[in-house]
Amino acid sequence: MLKLTGIRRSYRIGPVTTEILRGVDLEVHAGDLMSIMGPSGSGKTTLMNIVGLLDRPTSGACILDGRDVSGLRDDELSALRNRHIGFVFQSFHLLPQLTALENVCLPLVYRGAGRPEMRRHAQAILERVGMAERTGHRPDQLSGGQKQRVAIARALVGEPALLLADEPTGALDADTAGEVMALLRQLNAERGITILIITHDPSVAGQCARQTRIRDGRLFEPKAAAADGA
Amino acid sequence: MSRTFSVLSANAREAAESLRRARLRTVLGLVGVMIGISSVIAMVSLGEIAREQARKQFEALGTDIVVVRKAVGSGAKAIDLPNALQVAAAVPSITEAAPRISGRGTFRFAGRKVGGGAVQGVTRSFASVNRLTLQEGRFISDLDADRYWCVVGAGVAEAMRGAGADRLAGSLLEVDEVLFTVVGVLDDKEESYALPVQVNANKSVFVPITTAQRIVPAPGVEVVIARSRAGVHYGTAVADIRSFFRKRAPGLGLDIVTAKELIARMEVQMGIFTLLLGAVGSISLIVGGIGIMNIMLVSVAERRAEIAIRRALGARQRDIRSQFLIESVILTIIGGMLGIALGLAATWTICRFTDWDFLISGLSVASGLGTAAAVGLFFGFQPAHQASRLDPIAGLQGK
Repeated sequence: MLKLTGIRRSYRIGPVTTEILRGVDLEVHAGDLMSIMGPSGSGKTTLMNIVGLLDRPTSGACILDGRDVSGLRDDELSALRNRHIGFVFQSFHLLPQLTALENVCLPLVYRGAGRPEMRRHAQAILERVGMAERTGHRPDQLSGGQKQRVAIARALVGEPALLLADEPTGALDADTAGEVMALLRQLNAERGITILIITHDPSVAGQCARQTRIRDGRLFEPKAAAADGA
Repeated sequence: MSRTFSVLSANAREAAESLRRARLRTVLGLVGVMIGISSVIAMVSLGEIAREQARKQFEALGTDIVVVRKAVGSGAKAIDLPNALQVAAAVPSITEAAPRISGRGTFRFAGRKVGGGAVQGVTRSFASVNRLTLQEGRFISDLDADRYWCVVGAGVAEAMRGAGADRLAGSLLEVDEVLFTVVGVLDDKEESYALPVQVNANKSVFVPITTAQRIVPAPGVEVVIARSRAGVHYGTAVADIRSFFRKRAPGLGLDIVTAKELIARMEVQMGIFTLLLGAVGSISLIVGGIGIMNIMLVSVAERRAEIAIRRALGARQRDIRSQFLIESVILTIIGGMLGIALGLAATWTICRFTDWDFLISGLSVASGLGTAAAVGLFFGFQPAHQASRLDPIAGLQGK
């Protein structure tokens, strides 16, 4: 479903060029629940930005559903993100002025859905993540765990091929983090949603069926021993 | 439902909501645009009203008026009275002509001074040419030649009543130590400054033109005020008058001004005047527009994270751009509507103090709204464009 080969990404700051990703190969299959674990500065956020089509690699190919996305225009990337990728962020990134329901509707707005249809979908998905009672609340009226549930609902409302979660439990206490991870695993198991979790937390990574590690810009997959970027 | 419509309607809803949240900033932006639009509306409306006012003054006196004077620098002494008296009969393209000899004098009644002003030597036709009407008695007639009879303007009559005259007709008025018998009193006559000749009837005393020749130290006829025949082009009337005088008084240069020519000239001047006023008003509009731009730039800077989130969720650059453009256009259109109300109120107030007739110029209202929207688009574009080009990664990381 998603295939990265030889992904390199370097940044130039002044005269110095720093290579963050040094040849990453990664294949994600439909239905995977996969983690990428690494310390801060290892390049995991950069990798997530590339997978999430927010950033372009300096070199290497990124193939989503059989389609090479490296040469696409910004508009096409936006449309692909909208249809195929759902984002869950560490700090939730809900829009504070919108209610939970309106936040969840957002991806559908950019897809051109009608209002009643959007609200129906959003309502259904909020029910699924256990937030049926809080649809009219604004983010500042919700707890951290509730916010992350709304964020997960927003990521899922467009039925994306891939859910990208960047430290989804990073801002939550242990109990709530456990609940959110349970929800993600449940969604993966029941609906077959492909989930890629980026984390520095071994206990989070440990709950994923596939576990990879990133270090110094290279990706390792201990169990499968497949993707060795070197 | 098309994607564009869905995004635009969502953007419009959120723009309105965002303006409501940033209340103080919104109000400040509105005030800027409001002042700008209102000054444009007020300036353009006043220009239009002034033009309308001048046009009405002309129409009150007729647009067929032709004023003949001796040209400045002409060798001849003046227009001769006999020629001036014959011009109406001899020139077919004019219906009537009123020559005038004028001087100044001090007026006394019963030994008390009742004012001073123009002593105008005129003929019977002067009243009809200048649309003067009488409240009492009669006007100067052709049979009054050389008589010391006079017709007084409304202002002079008022002063005489104040000095104790109960019946004016038949009473004696002393003009520079010459006694005149009052035969008529004019109605109050508003002076029309748009005309090529000033009559100033209220403060004047009218006497037979032949009498004036004796008492006024003037070389001859100062001016002939004529009316051209209906359907005759003013150019024809001017040419006919010139050829009449060329035959009778060779060497006399004439300066002939027609109302129609003046109107045409005035229209051009008023157009420039209105344009100038509009330009002055536009300066404050530009200042208002810069205010909008500032506000939108702040709004964009504050909402970098929001923009990045929307981009991650699939908003295209143009979706972000339209979101901010709609916000600035809503702001300027509301400001524009308030500005139109304020501008019209200001115009109305000025009209009340100047006795002008207030009118709402549809053109100025329509152009006010159009300009407001254009200001929103123009000054909102740069911030909106900047928003659309923000790097979503930096925005998500809070950088």
